[in-house]
Amino acid sequence: MPLFTLKNVNFNNIIKFPDIEIPENISTFICGESGCGKSTLLKLLNGVISSTDGEINYLGKNIEDFEPISLRRDVLLVGQTTYLFDKTIKDNFDEYYAYRGQSPISEKAMESFLDICSVNLPLGSLCNTLSGGEQQRVFIAINLSFQPRVLMMDEPTSALDDKNAAALMKNIKSFCKDNGITLIVVSHDKAIADKYADNIISLQGRAEGGGEVLAGGAKYE
Amino acid sequence: MNDIISLNIGQFALIYLLLLIVLFVMKKCKINQTKLLVVASIRMTVQLVLAGLVLTYILQNPHPVFTILYIMLMTGFAIYMVLQRNKTINKRFKIIVGVSLASSGIAIVCFFIMVVVGVSIFNPQYTIPISGMIIGNALTGVSLGLKTFNENIKAHKMRINTLVNMGVAPQKILTPFANQAIETALLPTLNSMLGMGIISLPGMMTGQILSGTMPMTAILYQIAVIIAICAVTCLAVFCSLFFGSRTLYNARNQMSV
Repeated sequence: MPLFTLKNVNFNNIIKFPDIEIPENISTFICGESGCGKSTLLKLLNGVISSTDGEINYLGKNIEDFEPISLRRDVLLVGQTTYLFDKTIKDNFDEYYAYRGQSPISEKAMESFLDICSVNLPLGSLCNTLSGGEQQRVFIAINLSFQPRVLMMDEPTSALDDKNAAALMKNIKSFCKDNGITLIVVSHDKAIADKYADNIISLQGRAEGGGEVLAGGAKYE
Repeated sequence: MNDIISLNIGQFALIYLLLLIVLFVMKKCKINQTKLLVVASIRMTVQLVLAGLVLTYILQNPHPVFTILYIMLMTGFAIYMVLQRNKTINKRFKIIVGVSLASSGIAIVCFFIMVVVGVSIFNPQYTIPISGMIIGNALTGVSLGLKTFNENIKAHKMRINTLVNMGVAPQKILTPFANQAIETALLPTLNSMLGMGIISLPGMMTGQILSGTMPMTAILYQIAVIIAICAVTCLAVFCSLFFGSRTLYNARNQMSV
């Protein structure tokens, strides 16, 4: 059974998605030009927004039937923009865990997740002094530490150079594979997608600023 | 104690000369609010003169209907002013702000007049001036609280979206913003309480003393009014934001900020 299935999904009559199936336990990359609805698709999948028409199923059940907060924790979305509190790396872990009502993890565990994301900085480093790329990796490490069933990342390598981007994707893919986490990544970087994707969905079409309805199409590779 | 000296029109008009100082400073500092100063001064004068005429009539011909109408008018205007200053909030939020302001204001006024002073709520001599102070301060507090809440939410949109994506309940995300706004709304009242009696003699007390009331009586009223103002600000802002913030997300916990 596919993890997600989309049928006739339409968002605000601006983006019409093709019928899509996303399998479990492998890494799926979603590619396509700007404005074709890649980020919107991820938001639809973790229920941050709802579709105007059509049906999205998660594990064979309509997504609207899931309790929204549990769904978001199960299908975690690491958004395109990074947000870290003006505190240390450790405090950021603790803060996000507190917001989710969870006990903080050990410093050793924090370090291991930072290591997966190629962050070699002390836990006491202040996040507002880190570079954009470092902040992005710290943010991904925090999200990764929640160990969701599905990890969705929107342009996770946007602030990284090629070397760091490759190392990050390699480690994350390996971690997800070892821990039974399904990985869904939106990336404009074709090279990254070709290298780390088990499945690629290419969304075609573009929703123009005027809100014209244009059909998208999925291409599976 | 001597009775208050009535001001004749000539004496009274002299006070407007002070506005020339304000005007001069504004021109000098290039503060482009001359029109507002003129409009505000004229509106204040006209509104207060009208209020004076209406109050004179009501006090000479006391009737519960007049008192109720006056409070309703005052409350309605306060709600209108708050919503005018916070136009961007959604319709349900506006209704909640209106209900919170009206119910908190009227509840505190009723407690003050009926329980503390121990007179009928329909007694215009007590109810009208005291509700004016209480509802007027609730208006200021709610305006300030709402403004702070909305500005902070806009400024921290990224943090809010991140927490939503992470599966944090919207109420939990919004609570710190509401708490901050309540604190901001309360601070002016709390700060003024600190300096009261030393660096300021508040308006109500000054008015009572000028009209011949014994200072100790005036002080007791003033203390009661300040505590009532503190309570109404806290209650009105809390209710507005606690219930109003729930209009920022739907049953699917999807936020619209």
